[in-house]
Amino acid sequence: MEKIQFDHLQETLYKATLANGLNVYILPKRGYSKTFVTFTTNYGSIDRTFIPRGSEEEMTVPDGIAHFLEHKLFEKEDGDVFQKFSVHGASANAFTSFTRTAYLFSATDKLYENTEILLDFVQEPYFTEKTVDKEKGIIAQEITMYDDQPDWRLYFGTIENLYHEHPVKIDIAGTVESIQDITAEHLYECYETFYHPSNMALFVVGAVDPDEMMNFVKKNQDAKKFKEPAEIVRKFPDEKDTVAIAERTLAMDVSKPKLNIGMKCTKTDIEGEEMLIQELSSGLVLDILFGRSSDFYTKTYNEGLIDESFSYDFTMEKGFGFAMIGSDTEQPEALEAEIRKTIRGAVENWSITDVELDRMRKKKIGQFMRSLNSPEFIANQFTRYAFNKMNLFDVVPTLEKLTVQNLQDAFATFADESGYTVYSIVPAEPAQ
Amino acid sequence: MFKKIVLQEGVTLYIRKTEQFKTVNFSVKWKTALDETKAAHRAVLANVLQDSNGRYRTQTALRNTLDEMYGTVLYTDASKRGETHLVSLYAECVNDEYLSEGGVLDDVLGLIQTTIFEPNLVDGQFDETIVNREKRSVIERLRSLYDDKTRYAQKRMLELLRPDSAASASSYGTEKVVNAMTTGDLLKAYESMLHEDEIAIYVVGDVDEQEMTEKIRTHFTFQSRPAMERKPLQQAEARQTEDIRRVREKQEMKQGKLHLGFSTPVSFRHPDYPKMQITNGVFGGFAHSKLFMNVREKESMAYYASSSYASHYGLLYVMAGIDAELEEKAVDLIKEQLQAMQQGDITDLEMEQTKALLGNGIKSAFDSARGQIEVFDQFKELDEQFTAEKMIAVWESVTKEDVQKMATEISLEIVYLLSGKEAV
Repeated sequence: MEKIQFDHLQETLYKATLANGLNVYILPKRGYSKTFVTFTTNYGSIDRTFIPRGSEEEMTVPDGIAHFLEHKLFEKEDGDVFQKFSVHGASANAFTSFTRTAYLFSATDKLYENTEILLDFVQEPYFTEKTVDKEKGIIAQEITMYDDQPDWRLYFGTIENLYHEHPVKIDIAGTVESIQDITAEHLYECYETFYHPSNMALFVVGAVDPDEMMNFVKKNQDAKKFKEPAEIVRKFPDEKDTVAIAERTLAMDVSKPKLNIGMKCTKTDIEGEEMLIQELSSGLVLDILFGRSSDFYTKTYNEGLIDESFSYDFTMEKGFGFAMIGSDTEQPEALEAEIRKTIRGAVENWSITDVELDRMRKKKIGQFMRSLNSPEFIANQFTRYAFNKMNLFDVVPTLEKLTVQNLQDAFATFADESGYTVYSIVPAEPAQ
Repeated sequence: MFKKIVLQEGVTLYIRKTEQFKTVNFSVKWKTALDETKAAHRAVLANVLQDSNGRYRTQTALRNTLDEMYGTVLYTDASKRGETHLVSLYAECVNDEYLSEGGVLDDVLGLIQTTIFEPNLVDGQFDETIVNREKRSVIERLRSLYDDKTRYAQKRMLELLRPDSAASASSYGTEKVVNAMTTGDLLKAYESMLHEDEIAIYVVGDVDEQEMTEKIRTHFTFQSRPAMERKPLQQAEARQTEDIRRVREKQEMKQGKLHLGFSTPVSFRHPDYPKMQITNGVFGGFAHSKLFMNVREKESMAYYASSSYASHYGLLYVMAGIDAELEEKAVDLIKEQLQAMQQGDITDLEMEQTKALLGNGIKSAFDSARGQIEVFDQFKELDEQFTAEKMIAVWESVTKEDVQKMATEISLEIVYLLSGKEAV
C-alpha cells in the first residue's frame, strides 16, 4: 500500500492496486463521524458502441443502457439492496454520468458490513427479463420527470445543438422508447465488458482506518473469481469542430424565457496534466470574463438582462468539452449580444493580465480548500480525475503555476464562433 | 456541543472549536415573528446587504475583495421556521494555517462587521438604484418557482391546505409587497432587524475560543433587546372539515405531480415529536419505506414516492411523480400504506431500518459546519444541551405500538394533482 502525503493540505492518501486490477484509494479525515464510499466504473452513457468482451464484432446498444444497468444492479433474487443498506444505517445511492457509473453509500456505523454490501451487490449481477421489464415503468417516469424540467431541457438541448455525432448528445437515461428495447442479455453484455475490477475504482473517505480497510477490501476481492483483465475497445464517431445546430427554441410552460449559449471545445483528445491545465485555465477565463466581479456581470445585472439564475460552466472529458453561459432573461437577444460581445472582445483584444489571474487564482485555491471539507466532493472528483489520468491533489500546485498564456491558449480552444450555439426556452402560448 | 456566551440580552454567541474543517464558518441569524410584510422587506434587505456596503460601495469592489481573500464566501439568505422569520448572514474563509502567505481571518471579521453595521447608505438612505434592482431580483425569484413543477405543485397544495398561514407563506414575502416597498421601508426594516430582533451568532472552526469571543464582542456591538417570545407548547392547527378535498390543476407538462397533504396534532414541540419522526420514516422517508417499496418497487408507478414531516406546522406531505391517468390507483395505494400502519402492520425490520437511518442522518449532518449550525439552532429550542446521541437514544425507545398510535393521528386533508392538459 502506497502512502502519499500532501503536506500543504494536511491530507494523506493511501493507494493500492489489487491483484484483479482494482484501484483502491483511502483518505482518512480527522473529526468526521461518517465514511463515504464510492465504487465507480469507467463506463457511462457515451460508451454505447464497443466490442463486447469475448466477441470480435462491434455493437451499438440501446440508448440509456448504462443508466438502466445502474438501476438494475440494485435488485437481487432476494430483494432490494436498499433494504440491506438501511438495516446497517447506510444511506445508499448511485448515479450515471456521460463517462462514469458510481455506486455509493454514506454511513456513521457498521462500515465493514456496508462496504461488503457495496462490493458484493455491484459484483454480483442478477438480471432477468421480468425484472428488466418491471424497471421500464420506473425509468419512464424518471425520464418524464426530467422532460418537465426546463433547466435540464436547456442543458441537454444545448449539447444536442453542439454535436453532430458524438454520443454525449444522447440523454443519459435514453428515451421512453429506446429503453423498451433493453433486454437482460444487453445488460449482461455491458456488465461483462465494463465492470471488470481493472476498469473500476473504490474510494473510501472519512472515518476509516486505512490498514484495516485495505485488508478488508483485499480479502473480499481475493475471495472472488474474475476473468483476466481485457482491453476495452470503445468506438467514437469523428466529430467536426463546428456545431451541428446553431440555434433552436423550445416552448415550455415557464414564467420567463431562458437562454443558454454553448461553446464547443476543439481540444479534447487530451488527458493527464494537459487536461488539468486546460480545464483549470478555461474555468479561470470564464470566472474573469463572466464572474460576479466582471464588467459583464455588473452591466447585465444592473440592466436586468440576467438574474440570480445566471450561471456559467466548463465541462470536459476525454473526447468532448464545452463551455456554457446562461440565464433566465426577458431579453434573450440583448443578452446573447452581450455574451458574444464579451467573447469577441477577449478574442480581438486579449486584456486579461497577471493582476486578474492572481486574484482568481486565490479565489480558486480558497474554493478548492473549502471543497476538501466535503467527503462527497473528494470521492467523486478524485475518481473522475483518476479516470482522466489526473490527480485531484495537483489542483493547487497547478493553479499556482498557471500563466496568462495558459489562459489565452485554453480560451482559444472554445472561442471560435463556428463552435457557438444558442438554445432558448420561451413561455408556451397560454391555452385557450 | 457549542459553547454558549450571552453577549447581551437577546444576543447570544455559540462557538465551537474543531480541527475537523479547513475553513472557519460564521453565521449571524436574526429572528422575528413571521409576517408577509416583514418577510418581503427582509428578503430585499438581505440582498441589498450582500450587494455592497459602506466600505465597498459597488458589487464589483466587494466581490474583488472577497476573491482576494482566497475566495471568502459572504452571502445572506431569508428563510422561515415555524412562525419565525430568519435572515442569516454566512461567511466562510480558509483557515489561515492552510494559506502560504498571510491570513484572512481578521479581515473577514472586519468585513462581516462592515456588512452589518455600515450598510451602503448615502445621506442616511439606501441607494434607490440598488434597492430597485434587488426588488426585481426577489420578485423574479418568487416567480421562478412556477418553472419548477414539483415545487410549484407543493406550493399550490400548501396554499389550498393552509391559506394565509405561516405553513404556506414564502420567506421572501409576496410580489405585491416587494413591489410596493420604498427605500424608507428598507431602512426601517434594517433598523428594526438590527436593534429589535433576537440574534444568534455562530462560529465553527479551528479558532481560539477566548480570543474569538473577545473579537466578536468588540466587533459586533449589538445592543440588548428582549429575546423573541416563544409560543408555548402549541397544538397544530385543527382541520376544518372531515372531507378530503380533491383539486386538479393543469399546465403544459408531461408528468402528473401528485401531492397529498395530511395533518397531525403532533408538532415540533409536542412530546410525541420523535415518535412521529419514526412514523414518517416507516411511511415514506426512505428507500426502505412503505411508499418506496410499494408505489415504486412493487407497482413500478413512480420514480419518486416519498413523505416528509413538516413538524413545525403539524403537517405531513406525500409526493409522487406519476402518469396522471393512474391518479386513483396511486392515491389508493398511498392510503393503503397509512391504513396498514394504523392497523399495526409494522415490522421489526422497518423499525430497525428507520432508526438506523435517522441516526445516520443526524450524525452525518454534523460532518459539515453548516449542518452543525443549522441542526443545533433548531434543536436548542427543545434542549440547550442537545446532542445527536441524545436524540438517537430517544428514537431507540420508540416502539411499533407508538408508531401505530401515531399513524392514527395522521389524517388526509387534500389530494392535489398538477398534470398536463391532454391528460384526464
